Amino acid sequence: MGAVIELENITKVFRVLNRHAGLRGTFTDLFSRDYKNLVAVDHVSMSIEEGEMVGYLGPNGAGKSTTIKIMTGILEPTEGKLLVNGRVPYANRTLNAQNIGVVFGQRSQLWWSLPVIESFRILKEMYCIPDKVYKNNMEMFDELVGVSELYNKPVRQMSLGQRTLCDILASFLHDPSVVFLDEPTIGLDVSMKSKIRELISVLNREKKTTVVLTTHDMGDVEALCRRIMIIDHGKLIYDNNIQQLKQFFGSYRTLKILSAGNVSFSEADLAKYGRQLLALCPETRNVVFGSDEEWLTVLVPEDEISLIKVLDHMQTLIPFKDVRIEEITTESVIRKIYEGNCDAKPTLEA
Amino acid sequence: MENRTKKLPFRRYFSITRAGILEMAMFRSSRVIDFVGNMVYMIVVYFLWRAIYASTHTVSVNGMTFIQTLIYLTLAGAIFSTLNNYLVWKMGHDIQSGQISLFFTKPMDFYLREFFYSLGNVATQLVLTFIPTFLVVSILSGWALPMGVNLLIFLPAIFMSLVISFSIDFIVGTICLYSQSIWGINMMKEVIILLLSGATIPLAFFPEAFRNVLMFLPFQAIYNVPLMVLVSNTYTWIDYARALGVQAFWMVILVAGARLFFRSSSRVITVNGG
Repeated sequence: MGAVIELENITKVFRVLNRHAGLRGTFTDLFSRDYKNLVAVDHVSMSIEEGEMVGYLGPNGAGKSTTIKIMTGILEPTEGKLLVNGRVPYANRTLNAQNIGVVFGQRSQLWWSLPVIESFRILKEMYCIPDKVYKNNMEMFDELVGVSELYNKPVRQMSLGQRTLCDILASFLHDPSVVFLDEPTIGLDVSMKSKIRELISVLNREKKTTVVLTTHDMGDVEALCRRIMIIDHGKLIYDNNIQQLKQFFGSYRTLKILSAGNVSFSEADLAKYGRQLLALCPETRNVVFGSDEEWLTVLVPEDEISLIKVLDHMQTLIPFKDVRIEEITTESVIRKIYEGNCDAKPTLEA
Repeated sequence: MENRTKKLPFRRYFSITRAGILEMAMFRSSRVIDFVGNMVYMIVVYFLWRAIYASTHTVSVNGMTFIQTLIYLTLAGAIFSTLNNYLVWKMGHDIQSGQISLFFTKPMDFYLREFFYSLGNVATQLVLTFIPTFLVVSILSGWALPMGVNLLIFLPAIFMSLVISFSIDFIVGTICLYSQSIWGINMMKEVIILLLSGATIPLAFFPEAFRNVLMFLPFQAIYNVPLMVLVSNTYTWIDYARALGVQAFWMVILVAGARLFFRSSSRVITVNGG
């Protein structure tokens, strides 16, 4: 098993115009030479093995999409070496394109006004997919998600979920060795999300396709990936397996409470609730209280105490008006990594 | 795996042409409206030019009779709606929205892909708009159009018109990478082509000095050349050969120009992002 994707010190610097506001500003920009350099990707190195499913995480503007664009051959890196399937993507764009599949969650590669089956037929011709491979793949797709009833529906009449489903299938149709999925579950409801996760996971397993998945939905990553890379401000800050990451915060959830009476919580209030909760359930010392506008936030380590139990106790302390439970976000994961004590690089045996 | 890395055959582009035909045919009412629009245009042209001819008191002006002018301009309108493929709009939109980067992840040449798509559009328009207009014009003019070898020569001529007008559109579309304006640039292109190609006023009506200059520009190869092939009663084999030769010349230059320009411009995308 060799590395399918190898990046070595990849850096991408964009030269962007310092834009000015207004009609006049826009007009003077036409002749402006006032550029600044923007480092989108900063010395990123990685190696992805055949058949791996890698989650590539980061907040908006962290450099995820830029990295994907470099790997797919759309962008040329400013510095550094990379190989995808043993080729330099931007130098052999057409050749590289034959062995990769790409889905950008916000865009569609399907033909907008045509029935979706026509898009599949065009892809068959475009990649010169042999009849037998095409037939087998179409049968497999139908078995997995039952798409055959969608075949005659024009893409423009599809729901976002149906379209995303078809887009993902389209990217796997020519048996590429790598598929890049850029935010495939963006804007989808929960049931569609899980359907798409299931589909990606089966395709990765059955076809041994390497999948690089960018997202800022922690749920996607937990459901799909064993390995995670996190990028922030262009730098790769974490590259290790998911268990490692989960040890530190996977078990945390945030309980948010809107009080019926009190609307602002002082430090003293927070400390008071901390003491009161500790008195009620002495088994945990790691519940952290905070406030977010008028909400009282309680970070609950679920391996020590169940969220329901905390909720139960809190009810005796504060009259509730509203309650919310939030999963940990990518942003708080990144904050945790910066705070340290999380092993960001794989140990030798990993 | 091995067979995947070799060069893919050219015929895969025909699947794009097929899609172009399907997409055009998908919007049935649009095709009817295109045809009706051409008929309305013919009526306008009829009254306008009848007035012009009435004021001259001669049968032919600048070597063209009223009927010939009417046929020429109506068919120019029909060719306009046949060749009009909104390529500049499409490219401009793809560039502004970043959709163009998706095409870079496909194993296809962008110019050829867009060309074969246009070919599908044009073929459909030719059958659904141009031919009906042509038949109506023939009947109304009392079969004044020559019906012989000119019809056969017209086919390669209109094909080359397509390549030339497509390449000009492609060059203008590529300018959108730099300009960010689509409407203005498209408008400019449209006005220049319609005036200088003879699509709004037959070139025979231009002052001779100006006409001689226009003959050295590519625009007349889009409308004037195929139209003269179609409507002229006096063309000889030499005239036909010269007409096709002029078109072939411009075709080669503009295809090369469009491809080179796009190749150097696509660095704007690969270096600065889609």
